[in-house]
Amino acid sequence: MKAKKVLSAVLALATLVSMSACGTSKSSGTSGADSGSSAVPNIYDIKLGEDYKDIKADLTFLTHRTDIADTVFADYIKKFNELYPNIKITYDALTDYAEEATVRLTTDDWGDIMMIPTTVQKNELPNLFVSFGKLDDLNKVYNFNNNFAYKGNVYGIASVGNAQGIVYNKKVFEAAGVTSLPKTPDEFLDALQKIKDKTDAIPMYSNYAAGWTMGAWDAYIGGSATGDADFMNVKLPHMKNPFSKKDDMTGPYAVYYVLYEATKRGLIEDDPTTTDWEGSKGMINRGEIGCMVLGSWAIVQMQQAGDNAADIAYMPFPISVGGKQYASAGPDYCYGINKKVSTDEQIAAMLYIKWLTEKSNFAYDQGGIPIDKTQKYPDTLKAFDGIELVVDTPAPEGEETLFNDLNTASELGINSSNDKKSEILEAAMNGTKTLDQIMDEWNQKWTAAQEKYKVEIKY
Amino acid sequence: MMEDGMGKASSLKKIFGMGKGQRILVIVTFMFLPLLLLFVFTYLPFFKMFQFSFYDMKYIGKREWVGLQNYIDVFTRDDCFKALKLCFYYMAGAIVQLAIALYFATVLSFKVKGGAFFKGAMFFPSLICGIAVGFIFKFFYTRGFVLDTVLSWLGFAKESLPYWLKDTSINNFSLAATSVWKYMGQNMVLFIGAIMSVDKELYEAAMIDGANAWNKFRYIILPSIKSIVVLNLILSITGSISAFEPPYVITNGTNGTGTYFVIMDRIAHQNQKVGLASAMAIVLLGILILCTIAQKVILNVLFNDKTESYSRKALKKMRKEERLKRKEAREAARA
Repeated sequence: MKAKKVLSAVLALATLVSMSACGTSKSSGTSGADSGSSAVPNIYDIKLGEDYKDIKADLTFLTHRTDIADTVFADYIKKFNELYPNIKITYDALTDYAEEATVRLTTDDWGDIMMIPTTVQKNELPNLFVSFGKLDDLNKVYNFNNNFAYKGNVYGIASVGNAQGIVYNKKVFEAAGVTSLPKTPDEFLDALQKIKDKTDAIPMYSNYAAGWTMGAWDAYIGGSATGDADFMNVKLPHMKNPFSKKDDMTGPYAVYYVLYEATKRGLIEDDPTTTDWEGSKGMINRGEIGCMVLGSWAIVQMQQAGDNAADIAYMPFPISVGGKQYASAGPDYCYGINKKVSTDEQIAAMLYIKWLTEKSNFAYDQGGIPIDKTQKYPDTLKAFDGIELVVDTPAPEGEETLFNDLNTASELGINSSNDKKSEILEAAMNGTKTLDQIMDEWNQKWTAAQEKYKVEIKY
Repeated sequence: MMEDGMGKASSLKKIFGMGKGQRILVIVTFMFLPLLLLFVFTYLPFFKMFQFSFYDMKYIGKREWVGLQNYIDVFTRDDCFKALKLCFYYMAGAIVQLAIALYFATVLSFKVKGGAFFKGAMFFPSLICGIAVGFIFKFFYTRGFVLDTVLSWLGFAKESLPYWLKDTSINNFSLAATSVWKYMGQNMVLFIGAIMSVDKELYEAAMIDGANAWNKFRYIILPSIKSIVVLNLILSITGSISAFEPPYVITNGTNGTGTYFVIMDRIAHQNQKVGLASAMAIVLLGILILCTIAQKVILNVLFNDKTESYSRKALKKMRKEERLKRKEAREAARA
């Protein structure tokens, strides 16, 4: 009987101890919180392979690239460890990255390096991430530093740059008798009609069921549709009815017009609700699809999906502003370093990000615009010769969060959510609303959000 | 739960012969962990959500107190309550599902060739995770894939078949059908279990009286398993109001298939309106409570026969007597 009593006491004690152990281990993870981000050097001051040779750290890296986390990245870790053998890196690849990373970010111990989700607001950056250095200095060595710059400091380094255009299959376009690339929305729709009439290919594959492929259309409404670097961050928040139709068919309306009309005229796949993203890559490679509206990151994936890599090409979005074509260019996901981990881990993370940017050749291999200014452009972007790349200027001082605020308050989710764009395709497919009606609704929502934040209408 | 604890404590007391203080200590130690888990993972998040519903807030960043504005928005926005209408598709599905489950359960609880195989095969879908079910059905409904092929074998012309997910007049039925497929087996197993407990002699007696299969089902089986049927009905209907997996995985809630939960998820995660989404959740909770009460009331009126209320009373009385006896025994032991 005594023995039983003792046993139960021991058990009770054990549970208590194990629980309190949970508690302490959690808090110790965040203890390095304020221990001086001043000790972390600027990324451009580090000499790779010379500084911090003996640093020891264990890094967790959240990434959205589930496809190459175990192959390409594993190889990077090996090469990086030749320089820094004591830094251990573990990749944590998330399938539903944008949502999951946003939720994880609300805790302090999500890891050391992440691709900063686009939902993060600029004024929160200094509380969450380590600064890589001054914006002016970084602009001398790297491209695309503006996206996560706040008050002169840069909190995110782009992994790769994307140009916005349309992936297409050259052979299909040739077979349909389209000899010169279309330059306006109507020319483009004519070209799609020719493909439908003269070939068996699906002219434009929407990939509607995947969801994010609809959100991807937002990437064209800025630089590609207006040629104006100020459009997205400087002008759009202050514009009256930005989604209205313009006579010269430029601006956001023209972009969504292509989507709406292509759907309405039956130039997309027969049943968009059951499309298969992985399968579509092989289809465009084999010439069963004419084109897909996706960023330049998609080129390499389409080329690798079959034997006809040479047929895959890239063209700018068919909108001409004053007879000239433009293409938006901007960063893909950006690396950010957790502010709540120890200084050693932060420095180690900084070393790895610098190595990824300058030594890994990641951007070139992925067919994107390099971040390191000294590296060369990949061959796939050759169709962009003579086309001016437009990089969005950052929002002016004091308005860093304005676009985000309006974007979430209006629920239009430009560049951050898909459902509003899916509705355009649905309306065209089911014949429920005209594009003008949808754009009017958007204008109203935008105006309501502007009123909520008391924005001055300037344009 | 309380009673359980008491029972344990009193039996422990017999073993240890401890005093009252120690008994309370034992109770507290045993209850501490479950109560803590319950509090941390159920009540605390709930109260937090209740609190969030009064703020205009995103996940990170400043919060602003807005009072009841979020609740007003839930009732005035056109997408929230329009989404709630979709639950009727899933409710219809739930009723069909219960009927099929009841049918198979009745058939399978008698001796059938390959009965065990059919039970296993029909229960199998409920073991698959909802996300996988979604992916299976995405391909199942694709034009010219599984469903269309099977139907064309049966003699339907491929051109005359509808687009299962594209056509807005039937896509919600298609989605509800997937949840019928997934949950039917689970209901069936519960029903089989209940039917097993029916006294076999009743069937014999009925046979002698000349009852056919339908009579047996209607007058023996159904009354005996009534409580399980009612329980399943309540669970399926509240479940259909909060339908989430099929529309979220298969169609992403697009093309008119966004149920209340999907819209809530969209508002919370894509639009980052956490306060509004929390208010939606609280409103949904209210609706669910109302539904449950309404169901109880309606079913009480429908099924209120005297035997049950009598037996309930008798049960209460028996319990009371038992408690008294125990108390006496305890006092006697102490003396």
